[in-house]
Amino acid sequence: MAPARPASALGSRIGRAAAVVAAISLGALIVVPVLALVTYSPFGSLAGAVQDRGFRDAVVFTLEASGLAVAAALLLGVPSGYLLARRNFRGKSIVEALVTLPILIPHLLVGVALVVLFDRETLFGSVVVRLGIPFLNTIYAVVAVMTYVSVSYAVTASQLAFQTVDPDLLEASRTLGASPATAFRTITLPIAVRGIVTGGVLAWGRSVSEVGGLLIVAYTVYPVGPWAGPITSPASVYLYNLYTIGGLPGAAPAATIFILLGFAIFVTVRLLERLGRVVWRRQEFLP
Amino acid sequence: MTSWSLSGLSSRVDGFTLGPIDLRLDTGGAVAVIGRSGVGKTTLLRTIAGLLPPTAGRIERDGEDLTRVPPERRRLGYIPQSLALFPHRSVAGNVGYPLERRTTAPDPAELRALLDRFSLAHLAGRPTSRLSGGERQRVAIARALAAAPSLLLWDEPLSALDPTARSSLAELLGGVQRDEGIPLVVVTHDPEVAFALADRLLVLDAGRMAFVGPTTQLVDGELTAFLARFIGYENVIGRDELRPHAATALDAWLLERAGPGGLAISAEAVGLVDDASPGFVGRVRQLSPRPDGVDLRVEVEGRTVVARYRPLAGAVTYPRSGSPVRLQVDEKRIRRLAPSVGAA
Repeated sequence: MAPARPASALGSRIGRAAAVVAAISLGALIVVPVLALVTYSPFGSLAGAVQDRGFRDAVVFTLEASGLAVAAALLLGVPSGYLLARRNFRGKSIVEALVTLPILIPHLLVGVALVVLFDRETLFGSVVVRLGIPFLNTIYAVVAVMTYVSVSYAVTASQLAFQTVDPDLLEASRTLGASPATAFRTITLPIAVRGIVTGGVLAWGRSVSEVGGLLIVAYTVYPVGPWAGPITSPASVYLYNLYTIGGLPGAAPAATIFILLGFAIFVTVRLLERLGRVVWRRQEFLP
Repeated sequence: MTSWSLSGLSSRVDGFTLGPIDLRLDTGGAVAVIGRSGVGKTTLLRTIAGLLPPTAGRIERDGEDLTRVPPERRRLGYIPQSLALFPHRSVAGNVGYPLERRTTAPDPAELRALLDRFSLAHLAGRPTSRLSGGERQRVAIARALAAAPSLLLWDEPLSALDPTARSSLAELLGGVQRDEGIPLVVVTHDPEVAFALADRLLVLDAGRMAFVGPTTQLVDGELTAFLARFIGYENVIGRDELRPHAATALDAWLLERAGPGGLAISAEAVGLVDDASPGFVGRVRQLSPRPDGVDLRVEVEGRTVVARYRPLAGAVTYPRSGSPVRLQVDEKRIRRLAPSVGAA
């Protein structure tokens, strides 16, 4: 007779099985609706969506605006995440709660808040108007909304990434001849980069998927300043329009293209990040 | 010939004050810093390394004031207890790190020589997460030496290593110390490490220097209660501990034989005797096996005494936990202790 399996081993098998079931369920939850959408449209209609000039303009504009928003989110988020990870100060938990506020606020209200802020009746709005800077229905408004709704991801992911860097490593590098800047460049950044890239990817994903705030501040986007492109809309708003006008058959092909494009960008960024690490390791000084 | 000196060095961290510390270190000299947990041993190393700003005092190397010089310009080899190997770099990447900092075109031959010297050449490309404890220690030492240090600072070397790896690494460290002659400050809980690597002891107590003297003090000099515990005496009884209890026969007997700081008796000097012999009667509380017998924790008149029991031919029964025994102390092997005031 086979020896009885110890209770702990049985427990761990059940735990593992539960984890696998949870992971498969999660995968299904994420993938099935997307598959339903992606397989809804006949292949030929996808080509039609690609040929739609308005959709192409909206996608290009969204990539530009979201790129700027991610850059702004990282520019603000990475140093803030670093401070939150490395410094203790009074009111830190309040600051951490404030950082997550953009995730909590319904995004329609973000748009409303920006409309109020830039109203010529407010002090801020009146200054902006006097300076001759247009805001509503411009790329500025789009980038502002996108940055607002995505910056929390950049801050939080950076904070977690910097927290994984053991301060002992930095101290050791200092005693081995590295200045604070060199220690940051050679120790902190390479260790934290994966988390920072994750923050950037999340921020980008959040930017391109934003609808509510953009419906309020940039339903239609007019060219302004260096962005002298065609009159367009953010892609999410464009898709919303297609749906309200043409229903599912009208929106599904463009939505499919947009999802596939977004997924391809996600995968590319991850591959580039991995490639970057390999290249970086190759540059190590070896005998 | 390099000479480091610390004069009146103090620092503060999280409300704890270290110092003032006065110490001189010349080429080939090595100081073992010992003391209980939290007395400031690591704080001392970090202050010398420039990782903690001193609140007072001076750090000098060959007469040059380094007190406010940043760590990267002190030419140190600091090995923290965690070893702090860089997880995103290979073995060679770790050892080569200080070489990259010293020059824009580091010499691969120098790196190769270091890897060879510490038997790391075959591991050069391996990530540090896939190294054994001994290999990790060797990488940390090689990396510290790659910085061409004028002082080595070492926090708890050989901790968490198995006995075989410990002794081979201790031998290696001893060799490095002899060959390089780089002054060394080593923090340790281990008398073996202190004895193998250092020629002087610095005992810290609550952030202050409680004792500085040659390591030979441990063998033939006067011992304080702390030093007696440090080198492994199982029964260390301070004189103050005896006074309130001197009413018992055992404490009165011990008090009669105690030095000004109390007395230390190794477990080996306390044996079991039969009921007919004179001795102190107690009850066994705990047994711990040793290579040459069993250590018994025996409660005698409210005091715990550690005795060594060696089963001889014909006497093969071990005492059991809870059983009564009669103890006898070999008077000739009692070590009288010096007072702790002004010493450890």
